[in-house]
Amino acid sequence: MGTRTLVCGAGGLTYELVDRLRERGHLVEGVATASLVVRADAGTAVDAAADALGALDLVVHVLGSPGHPTPLVDLSTDEWVAACEEPMVGALHLLQACRPHLGPGSRVVHVVPTSAMGGAPGFAATATAAEGIRALNKSAARQWGADGITATVVAAAPELLIGPAANSAGGALTGPALGRTGGAEDLAGIIDTLASPDAAFTTGSTIVADGGTWMAP
Amino acid sequence: MSTDRGVGLLDGRVALITGGAAGIGLGIATAMAREGAAVVLAVRRTENGGPAAEALRSGGHRALCIRCDVTSRDDLEAAVAATVGDFGRLDCFVHNAVGGNVAPGPIEGMDDGWLGLLATTVRASFDAAQVSHPHLADAGGSFILMASAAGMEGSANLPAYAMVKASQRALAKSLSREWGPYGIRVNCIAPVARTPAMDRAYRANPNLEEQLVGRTPLQRIGDPTDDIGPVAVFLASDLARFVTGQTIVADGGGFLGL
Repeated sequence: MGTRTLVCGAGGLTYELVDRLRERGHLVEGVATASLVVRADAGTAVDAAADALGALDLVVHVLGSPGHPTPLVDLSTDEWVAACEEPMVGALHLLQACRPHLGPGSRVVHVVPTSAMGGAPGFAATATAAEGIRALNKSAARQWGADGITATVVAAAPELLIGPAANSAGGALTGPALGRTGGAEDLAGIIDTLASPDAAFTTGSTIVADGGTWMAP
Repeated sequence: MSTDRGVGLLDGRVALITGGAAGIGLGIATAMAREGAAVVLAVRRTENGGPAAEALRSGGHRALCIRCDVTSRDDLEAAVAATVGDFGRLDCFVHNAVGGNVAPGPIEGMDDGWLGLLATTVRASFDAAQVSHPHLADAGGSFILMASAAGMEGSANLPAYAMVKASQRALAKSLSREWGPYGIRVNCIAPVARTPAMDRAYRANPNLEEQLVGRTPLQRIGDPTDDIGPVAVFLASDLARFVTGQTIVADGGGFLGL
């Protein structure tokens, strides 16, 4: 049986990722990011998806971002809330809603831009949310490990998750070692690997899959 | 160890510290005042912050207490305006206040109580950055956020705290890149110190002190004024003029993950 996968995110990349995971044999249900802001809505949406799949082997949360850079001092409070606080709240609600459907061998994967680690001028709200979500993932890893559930983070190129206006992680002097910033197929590959039994001993980690730009530490 | 006078590293500077009525905030304010800074304690409860400021003044320092609930943008704006009104400038903004009492526990048990934590850290940092930016730009100043090792190593029992503290580091890094051209430096301190909050944590978990000290190479818990305060002094001073976007972990060596 294929991996029973719930994907949560917004935008074209998420849809492409769903297609690529299906090509790899995953049975995929989606949950819209907008449905995560209210805890009860998140529960309803996740329960429906989990019921359709039977259980959740893999939960993938893709952090969205505004595509246009705005200096923090020029952001409205509403823009800050939408780009920073709601994604953090949503990530929490998603984990809470998914927990009853997770069991031994289940995986949680958060996909964030490497700007979580390097900071992102013009996208401070997204970077702030991303690093908060990375810490939430570590708490999930520590709390749920005893039940055989792992949680990991895939850090992708900012260009991929935010858009062409996003600078490379940490203002790197050089571009990606592999010559490109990647796409949905690259993400599907690493996520599928993390979902495999061979990744059962990896938890709380951040796997950087950005073609070799961000190399710290 | 403590002396009332430093060597004047912050002579002529003005610093605003949120949550400066006790604990690490007061330690930072005290250390900065000893180095010559005028300090503003921006506190939610002036019945605590007032006497703290008075004690600093009676020690010969320039200090002011202003009522400020950091979840109110208006309060933050007023605190900055009062600081600049009274002392003429703002060189350093330290956002140290943290509220929203979230009990340790599992992720799945978290209710909306953690939104208070989010408001006092993530939102307040955003508001503080916006309202202080023009003055920090005028002064070529320093913006300091408080992080925590919990946000870096992942917390088994304080997921909300770890989450908001981790987020502060990415905000500081992003702002360091946005504000570098203004001559403003943005950094984080990740402290461990004996504070009223730590005392409450000790009461909740009697083994905590032994656990914390046991993993600390320097074999003790920090003092807010003498161990954490000087780190903030450094970051606010010209000694750190080329340091931005960084997190300084001041915990006796307990966390070595950076």
